[in-house]
Amino acid sequence: MPNEMKPGQDGKKSVEALRSKFGAAILAEAWQTPDQVTLTVELSSLPEIVEEAYYRQGGWLSSVVGNDERGLNGHFAVYYVLSIEKERVPDKNFWLTVKALVPSHKPEFPSVTPRVPAAVWYEREVRDMFGLEPVGLPDARRLVLPDDWPDNLYPLRKDAMDYRFRPDPVAEEENYKFIEVEGEGIVEVPLGPLHITSDEPGHFRLYVDGEYIVDADYRLFYVHRGIEKLAENRLDYDQVTFLAERICGICGYTHSVAYASAVETANGIEVPPRAQYIRTILLEVERMHSHLLNLGLAAHLVGFDAGFMHFFRVREKAMQMAEILTGGRKTYGMNLIGGVRRDILKEERDQVLRLIAEIRVELDELLDLLLNTTNFISRTQGVGRLDPGVARDFSPVGPNMRGSGYARDTRADHPYGAYDRVPWDVISRDGCDVLSRELVRAAELYESLKIIERCLAEMPPGPVLVEGFAYKPYSFALGYTEAPRGENVHWVMTGNNQQVYRWRARASTYNNWPSLRYMFRGNTVSDAPLIVASIDPCYSCTERVTVVDVRKKKARTIEYKELERYCQERKNSPLKS
Amino acid sequence: MLKLLRKALKVGEATVEYPFKPVEVAPGFRGKPVYDFSRCIACGACATACPPNAITMDWDLERGVKSWNINYGRCIFCGRCDEVCPTGAIVLSAEFELAAARKEDLYCRAELKLCKCISCGAYFAPCRELEYVLASLRQAGLLEGGHEGWKQLLKVCPECRRRQAASATGALGRPGRMPGGRQ
Repeated sequence: MPNEMKPGQDGKKSVEALRSKFGAAILAEAWQTPDQVTLTVELSSLPEIVEEAYYRQGGWLSSVVGNDERGLNGHFAVYYVLSIEKERVPDKNFWLTVKALVPSHKPEFPSVTPRVPAAVWYEREVRDMFGLEPVGLPDARRLVLPDDWPDNLYPLRKDAMDYRFRPDPVAEEENYKFIEVEGEGIVEVPLGPLHITSDEPGHFRLYVDGEYIVDADYRLFYVHRGIEKLAENRLDYDQVTFLAERICGICGYTHSVAYASAVETANGIEVPPRAQYIRTILLEVERMHSHLLNLGLAAHLVGFDAGFMHFFRVREKAMQMAEILTGGRKTYGMNLIGGVRRDILKEERDQVLRLIAEIRVELDELLDLLLNTTNFISRTQGVGRLDPGVARDFSPVGPNMRGSGYARDTRADHPYGAYDRVPWDVISRDGCDVLSRELVRAAELYESLKIIERCLAEMPPGPVLVEGFAYKPYSFALGYTEAPRGENVHWVMTGNNQQVYRWRARASTYNNWPSLRYMFRGNTVSDAPLIVASIDPCYSCTERVTVVDVRKKKARTIEYKELERYCQERKNSPLKS
Repeated sequence: MLKLLRKALKVGEATVEYPFKPVEVAPGFRGKPVYDFSRCIACGACATACPPNAITMDWDLERGVKSWNINYGRCIFCGRCDEVCPTGAIVLSAEFELAAARKEDLYCRAELKLCKCISCGAYFAPCRELEYVLASLRQAGLLEGGHEGWKQLLKVCPECRRRQAASATGALGRPGRMPGGRQ
């Protein structure tokens, strides 16, 4: 069971405040680290306590973990992970996990979503994966499981299935119920097959009035890979670091670090300072290539393809950096539990410093070019507004959040690696639009360059990997990183046979999807690809878009390429025919 | 627009001529793992460490061989095999052009002989692994004066050794449990 740690001062105060309000409903309190606390609460009080922590203690919902603990204590469990950022002073922030046990004979729990909208996707997922019914959840649709998945087969239950098992499909066709827009009524939309050709698949449905988007609905998870189940069944702790890196094709290393630090924290393993510096350097190298890619795509989508090419040319230098430091351009494969596998030598350091100097010069020129392209500003300003109020309700993360005036950045809010040992600034803008989000990314590139330089100059000598520790069965903790797209949170509970008992990986974009619907509203169809790209959802994800005209009661499906063309040219609307 | 043009002229051609010209990779590049049969002792450390199961080991006790297999189609080039190999039999190279027209071209297989137990006569361990252990013991000075027993012991399979140890402790009238052994 988890280590007993001494609580941090400010965390303790918050917990006292919760105790004074909810008293007997709080059953147990366990500190995994001085800034990670898990409160076990009465199931019936779960929504109130999460609401109190979220809205009155300065909380943001960072993850929800379902867990099958029947083999440990006879119950299922749900863990609501909140990042408490009350006074926006990093020293006072902490992680509050509200845990409730769900009886195995009555697998249901009161839904938190009516009080905290940010919980909506999480609760749909817990229902899909564990068969725990969130009573009162307004959205009864599946989130992760496909339509042809049998009822009553809950993949993450320990006794449900072998990880290799693929049940026979129970439905011939997709029967997902997209939302219906009130007003002039709506017609049934025939859905074609999904083409997983380029990019990633996702199904978007836009409800339009003429050229304007009234509402939007979308469905993702077409490529859910069952990574968590695989890790629980087949891999050891070290091997999962490599699997975690494959969660994302753009920002994988940040998942690997989040996973490794969750395991390290849960087992009290101290990562050597030099390894922490190396991880920090690589995380920033990854952020650079990712942000350059996104800025390039933004240029591409406003029809500025020359800019796109130049961003990709400069991005190549970030890829070279990764190759020099890790031996791989994209997958770094550097982490093991307890540190990193490869040191940074003097020659490698000098090469990277040279590349940094080159990138800095190139960036100045390129950003000057991009921002002085009139088209770019006019296409992005005021478009895809993420209202701060909506943001408060849905806990979005990353540049998406920082473009709407919230200076939330895990690197500063919950420092890890070497982020509290080198100087750098959190970037935020308050335009709430596509432009602000891109400006945040542009400015963050300079911060990344600064962080890498300082880390390379100041990294302490010493070992880069510790070994010879023992894993403590059934201890758990959080690991977190600020990915290029925002906060990643991993929750790991160790098992007793060199394997994780439960690993919950929550990628940043997961927190950004639910509020995207509100960002679409009021914009034109031709801006839709730009808005999606501005949350940087590992891009893609909009293979096929169905547009429903709420006035003409007509639905059409538009190929993504066509929509992209329209976004660039803004001529010959595909809606007119 | 003029700025952009100037920039483009300054940068010149950014495209590299690959595949008509080779691409240079960084010195520590993690490319195709290359296997050296002469060094392999079939211990299986690489197969245990390999995250995607690209390397696997199979026992054939009938024919007396342990086979080492790699499927380059599954390899993620993490280099864990390189890291854990005690003899340097598998090393990552700078090669990255692995495309093949046929699936079979991505497989590589090696068979290593097993030794028989002198007690029960069944195959039990790769001969080279036993040699490696002997060599290690020799280097540690454990094969000289009075330690010859090790040599004999290594020729007996774990099953027989356990049985022998059990009957030896049984003779002492105590329940059999190997000191430090796992239950």
